[in-house]
Amino acid sequence: MAQDSTEIARGLRRRDPDLLDRLIEQYQHRLFRYLVSLTGHRELAEDLFQETWIRVLERGHQFNDRYAFGTWLFAVARNLVIDHMRRKQPASLDGLLNDGETAFDVPATGQASAWDTTLQREQNEHIAAGMQHLPAEYREALVLRFQEGMSLVEIASVARVPLGTVKSRIYRGLSALEPWLKGEAL
Amino acid sequence: MNTDAHEQARKLIALAGSEEPSATDQSSNAWLAAHLETCASCRSFAENVGETVRGLRAIPIAAERSLVSTTQITVRRRALELQRQKERLWLVPVSCTAVALCALLSTAALWRGFEWLGTRAQLASSVWQVGFLVFCLMPALLVGILLLAKDKDLADHTGSYTG
Repeated sequence: MAQDSTEIARGLRRRDPDLLDRLIEQYQHRLFRYLVSLTGHRELAEDLFQETWIRVLERGHQFNDRYAFGTWLFAVARNLVIDHMRRKQPASLDGLLNDGETAFDVPATGQASAWDTTLQREQNEHIAAGMQHLPAEYREALVLRFQEGMSLVEIASVARVPLGTVKSRIYRGLSALEPWLKGEAL
Repeated sequence: MNTDAHEQARKLIALAGSEEPSATDQSSNAWLAAHLETCASCRSFAENVGETVRGLRAIPIAAERSLVSTTQITVRRRALELQRQKERLWLVPVSCTAVALCALLSTAALWRGFEWLGTRAQLASSVWQVGFLVFCLMPALLVGILLLAKDKDLADHTGSYTG
């Protein structure tokens, strides 16, 4: 990982477009998922996805190869989301999902409707719906932990909060999703 | 069983597997296992957390191919722009150095020219030196005079309109 980071840092300092192409391919889904989870809007996430990579190109020399590139990338994306929110509405990330737009659009699988599949899909839809109603900081912690598989330390580094806060956000986020899983909150 | 014990158990469940296992974790896990044996609500919480995590991992959000290729093109274009900017930035000090060098050489040549003319005309050195100074300052003086004249002209026009 350290060697990878060193090579990435070197390439970013050179603004190597081939390296950036590879990184965009490599992190496309992870970064996009994270942006959707933060913003709650697919279209906005698409805009910020592009902006993030432009920022990576422009500020690549700031990347410290002692850290994982993914952690730095997510921190860059997070800052852009916060900047965007500040421009749009002078509030925290919390108010993002209150305008009734669908964020976690879970597409139909198109498979035969076997009972288990349907039940599972229904449960996933409940969780996706529950995620929309979580405060952005809980949503972020859950996405980074369970979708991106980041360690608590990495999440703390991306979100720039103490480790204890990350733990608390994961615990509270999971607890808040419990009624949604059971369908009680619908 | 007090509320703290349940909360402690739920926190352990929520954070299970998120850190490097340690000796403290082993004892915590043993305590949690014992707690779950006797507490149905925490057992249910553990099952729900498992379901939720599986559900979270199953949420299918993916970047579209078109977004990725558009981003790659945009980034390449921006990289090219930055490269050109960098090249232009490099030209600034080079141009400044070239201008300074030209000024130095032409000043030295002019000085020699004035010296030669002064000697030919048998002038005192202070006279051709003042001449050289006036010659060097002439462009700046002319521009200054023209600007002043323009300002005065404008002021006169404005005065005639208002008057």
